[in-house]
Amino acid sequence: MSQPVLIVGGGPAGLSAAQALAAVNQKSVLIEKEDRLGGAPILSGYAKLVPSHEWASDAIGGMVARVEGNPHIEVRTGATVKAFSGGPGDFVATLSDGSKVEAGSAILATGFTHFDSVNKPEWGFGTYPDVVTTTQVEQMISSGGGIKCPSDGRVPDRVAILLCVGSRDRQIGREWCSKICCTVSANIAMEIREMSPETNVYIYYMDIRTFGLYEGEYYWGSQENHKVKYVKARIAEVTSDGKRLLVKGEDTLVKRPISIPFDMVVHAVGMDPNVDNMTLSAIFDVELNRWGYVGRQNAYATLAETSRPGVFVAGAASGPETIDDSIAQGHAAAMAAMGFAMSGVKDAAE
Amino acid sequence: MPIHEKSLIRPENLREQDELVIDGVDVSGHWSTFIETRAVTDYNEAMQDEIAALAGGENIHRCWQCGSCTNACTVHAVNPDFNPRYWIYLIRLGMEDELVRDKDIIWQCVSCNKCTDACPRDVVPEAVMKATAHWLELKGHVDKKPSTHFDEGFSAQVIETGKIEDGLVVRDFFKRMGDPFRPFKEPYLVAMITGIAKRAPIGYLLKMGLALVVRPRTRGWAPARKGIEEYIREVDAKDRKALGLPAEGGH
Repeated sequence: MSQPVLIVGGGPAGLSAAQALAAVNQKSVLIEKEDRLGGAPILSGYAKLVPSHEWASDAIGGMVARVEGNPHIEVRTGATVKAFSGGPGDFVATLSDGSKVEAGSAILATGFTHFDSVNKPEWGFGTYPDVVTTTQVEQMISSGGGIKCPSDGRVPDRVAILLCVGSRDRQIGREWCSKICCTVSANIAMEIREMSPETNVYIYYMDIRTFGLYEGEYYWGSQENHKVKYVKARIAEVTSDGKRLLVKGEDTLVKRPISIPFDMVVHAVGMDPNVDNMTLSAIFDVELNRWGYVGRQNAYATLAETSRPGVFVAGAASGPETIDDSIAQGHAAAMAAMGFAMSGVKDAAE
Repeated sequence: MPIHEKSLIRPENLREQDELVIDGVDVSGHWSTFIETRAVTDYNEAMQDEIAALAGGENIHRCWQCGSCTNACTVHAVNPDFNPRYWIYLIRLGMEDELVRDKDIIWQCVSCNKCTDACPRDVVPEAVMKATAHWLELKGHVDKKPSTHFDEGFSAQVIETGKIEDGLVVRDFFKRMGDPFRPFKEPYLVAMITGIAKRAPIGYLLKMGLALVVRPRTRGWAPARKGIEEYIREVDAKDRKALGLPAEGGH
């Protein structure tokens, strides 16, 4: 009898790992600290996902339903791991409710934390109600409420999306590119234009990284089909003239200062390391990398290895990641974790 | 505020006050020159749509600012201020004041279409330059340029008679330019006319003389003229509507 695999985190990566293990009759225990599965796409109320344009509630909701109905997967919501001991093949995890889970191996699919825009006060979040984050706009769309200025509920005539908020910013110790925000912002811009054609959307960028196949559908599509405007500018500050927001900076293509009125400013927030990573690092005795994500040991041999044998990592826990790549990594981690879980079988046979 | 580097600042942005005292400090005169802000303070959101509505401007929204057009440009090689990429950017964002600043350069496009070949996005920058020049004229930012006067006279004659009479084209052009007697003042034209008078066969000269009095017409031209006129009216009305201009107005 093989030991179950402990999966920590019920987002796309964790769900995918559980699903992959169940597909080969490998048992797993899925621990989720919130009261429901789904991770960021469900908990933060994302709207339509890149690249499928499926609603998050359908796409990730479907993954949740498949995991919850699977007899090979034991789901424990509202629980966290408090202690983790033993070695590969016979780990013991102590949960927050005091119960213990024996596991052959573990997968950390603990995800990320949205950058808190308050850490860039010069861009107005927290000072002006009409400065919002991409997460809030996702919620405006997914809730069906439409794009409205939080201050007075009016439909904005003009929206600015600022890219790289909390990414590629050495000043505040975020030296990584969060990978997804350019594409997500282009997607959001198109959705705003569809929901409210009278709203003009401007995207302020330093580089556009709608990588791979997203180039055509998102970067071109947003300009060709939805008339979204891209402005190469660094924003110095977001302030207000008393009536509308003022976006101040330099248009680096025209080489002139700009001070443009907007009704709504959207921060394309990046992906911070999970705020719990220090705790997770201590409990699971895994090393974090220099940016604070769970460190990967190897890029080419066994994927998903952490610094502790038998403990693996998948998804945005180890760095900014897309949903589809998180799902792929969940599978990869499942494959690696299964070897350790199965070693129990080998021992028993000998 | 004394400025030592005035050459770096656009003259229209320099302000001197004859008499101005702020908080008890006299800031009048040359040594207290002020600089107006050079910040762009708003976008004209209609601008891209207006240019796109004119013939040739249709693909402007595809531009991704690679600069191939400017690199390929014949005129840019001679005049670095001639920069199609830059103007397309200004139009797309609606920086009208910035664009109008270059109104006396934009029409210099020689339509070599090297940019059209170089453009990876099929923007057809040459056509965008034409549309932009047309936009500047329609909006009244620039006077009609000589080539527009020439085109108008030339077209008017074709539309009217279905034929071109060279002498009339030249005379009509100078009339439209406001100086009907110009041909007699331009040495090259005088030389050309006297040259023809001296050397041309008598029969040809007679024919030319006749054409001065009786304008030759294409037989059965009237229906074509009507059709062309109607089409021009339609296009003109469409352009003016797209630019939010009153329906009347010339070519």
